[in-house]
Amino acid sequence: MIAFLRRFARERPAVGGLVLLALIVAAALIGPLLWAHSPTAIDHADLGAPLPPSAAHPLGTDVLGRDQLARALQGARVSLTVGVTAMLVAIVVGSLYGAIAGFAGGRSGGLMMRFVDAMLSFPTFFLIITVEALTNRFSLLVIVLVIGLLSWMGVARLVRGEVLTLREREFVEAARAIGASPARIVLRHLLPNSLGPIVVAGALAIGDNILVEAGLSYLGLGVQVPTASWGNMLQDALGPTAIGAPWLVAVPGALIILTLLGFNLVGDGLRVAFEGSA
Amino acid sequence: MIAFVVRRVVGAIPLLLFVSFVSYALMGLAPGGPAAIFAEQARAMSPSARAAFVASLGLDKPWYVQYLFWLKELLLHGSLGSSYVDGRPVVLRIAEKMPVTLELIGLSLLVTLAIAIPLGVAAATRRNGAFDVGITALAFVAYGIPVFWLGIVLVDVFAVQLRWFPASGIASLGHAGDPLDRLWHLALPVATLSIVGFASWMRYQRGAMLDVLGQPFIRTARSKGLAERAVIYRHALRNALIPIVTLLGLSLPALVGGAYFVEYVFSVPGMGYLGLNAVFQRDYPTVMGITLLSAVLVIAGNLLADVGYVLLDPRVRYE
Repeated sequence: MIAFLRRFARERPAVGGLVLLALIVAAALIGPLLWAHSPTAIDHADLGAPLPPSAAHPLGTDVLGRDQLARALQGARVSLTVGVTAMLVAIVVGSLYGAIAGFAGGRSGGLMMRFVDAMLSFPTFFLIITVEALTNRFSLLVIVLVIGLLSWMGVARLVRGEVLTLREREFVEAARAIGASPARIVLRHLLPNSLGPIVVAGALAIGDNILVEAGLSYLGLGVQVPTASWGNMLQDALGPTAIGAPWLVAVPGALIILTLLGFNLVGDGLRVAFEGSA
Repeated sequence: MIAFVVRRVVGAIPLLLFVSFVSYALMGLAPGGPAAIFAEQARAMSPSARAAFVASLGLDKPWYVQYLFWLKELLLHGSLGSSYVDGRPVVLRIAEKMPVTLELIGLSLLVTLAIAIPLGVAAATRRNGAFDVGITALAFVAYGIPVFWLGIVLVDVFAVQLRWFPASGIASLGHAGDPLDRLWHLALPVATLSIVGFASWMRYQRGAMLDVLGQPFIRTARSKGLAERAVIYRHALRNALIPIVTLLGLSLPALVGGAYFVEYVFSVPGMGYLGLNAVFQRDYPTVMGITLLSAVLVIAGNLLADVGYVLLDPRVRYE
């Protein structure tokens, strides 16, 4: 573990990414407590004319006179929550599925992977949009489940590949010899030993999920106003009433790009650090 | 080779059946299914006339019966049903839009690779130099740009402010069919997809190139006194392109998804524009058609990539 951390610390871009993420997460956690403006309070005096950044509103206001800094902070909470929890759903489903398919092997394992192939031949993003539009429910829980349950297939493939090589190793045979149940072998031996690639895939998946959520919200199929997410802030900003207010486009866009940069740098650093241990 | 292709095409049939079945089930089970929508639209009719109307569309049957009917129509008549919006055959509606989407995907792939491959090669040959670090950093930033956000920014700068390119559509008034006018309209959508896409391709190409440059035959080529240019382009690049071809197939779902989004942002009348609007209008037959054809596109792309892989690398045998 210490050797792993040392290898990770040598990856300077990854450490930079970690610092970036720490700042964003800290802002999401503490920011709304420190910044007294409400993200949803509509300032009727400013209605219709977004205000440029000023001392009172450091990131300006939107078309409804809402404080952009407060919305960006709330949006950070929402976007990160969706990104992380949808990743957890996909990782849990994908790892278990892949581990079972790999451990079972043979015809049933092959059949399980055919299902993964079939799921992967869906145009995923179009499917997510269709499902969201059909269910017509946009609570955070539904958005997280839809994104998570339609993006676990890559993880399943990855973990199955790991498990296929692991299950021939001596320690798995030893576990089987002392009578460990298949469930115990999968959960205690196979999955913990595939942790490296799973963690890397997880870090990258958070970023991808944030992008998907932003896309959904941009189409009006994601987090619903008045709750702010970076995606629906962009939806507001791209309407005709917001022309001439570039800060409305720049702020959520920059936050999404920086957050993805952070997760991708960290994911890449984790990959390099794990490869060093293998 | 032919046997391999035939086997893969046959293998695609269950995948497509699965895709169509799941999509149909989703729509059949969703609250506010087509029957409810029609009942809503036909409120002015008498109850018996409304029931007859719904029955005439087969919507009084359970969804799995409707699915079997849909499948029979597809297999026997090559029909995907008619749109709920304008009553025209879905096959026709999609056939009109498909060329634009294929053009958009093809052009952006071409531009993306034309930028990403030389950059990837240049980065790999200058490993850890200033150029490599700079271009890798740029790729990491580009990778996180939301497609629709970039589209809007490009429209604002190049269409609204500078007025160099049109902001939307596919043809100027009175210029329908003019290929130059079409390219001019596709410039910003293609640029959007290429800027977002170049990042991962550049990284792949750099990685593949570094793998190849570490191999013994490169040392051999160098030691027999070949010019570095010849080593890089004739020996290394050729081999480093092989893994890129497989990735081409794997990247197709993302590319199709991105193209759909860009079409929506730029109002390019392609499959994505049609599909997203069909989703919003709950035009189920059209959504089914788009889903199915997108799956065909993805599977065909994978197959093409596999075939290309076999053709490019004589060591690979299709079993």
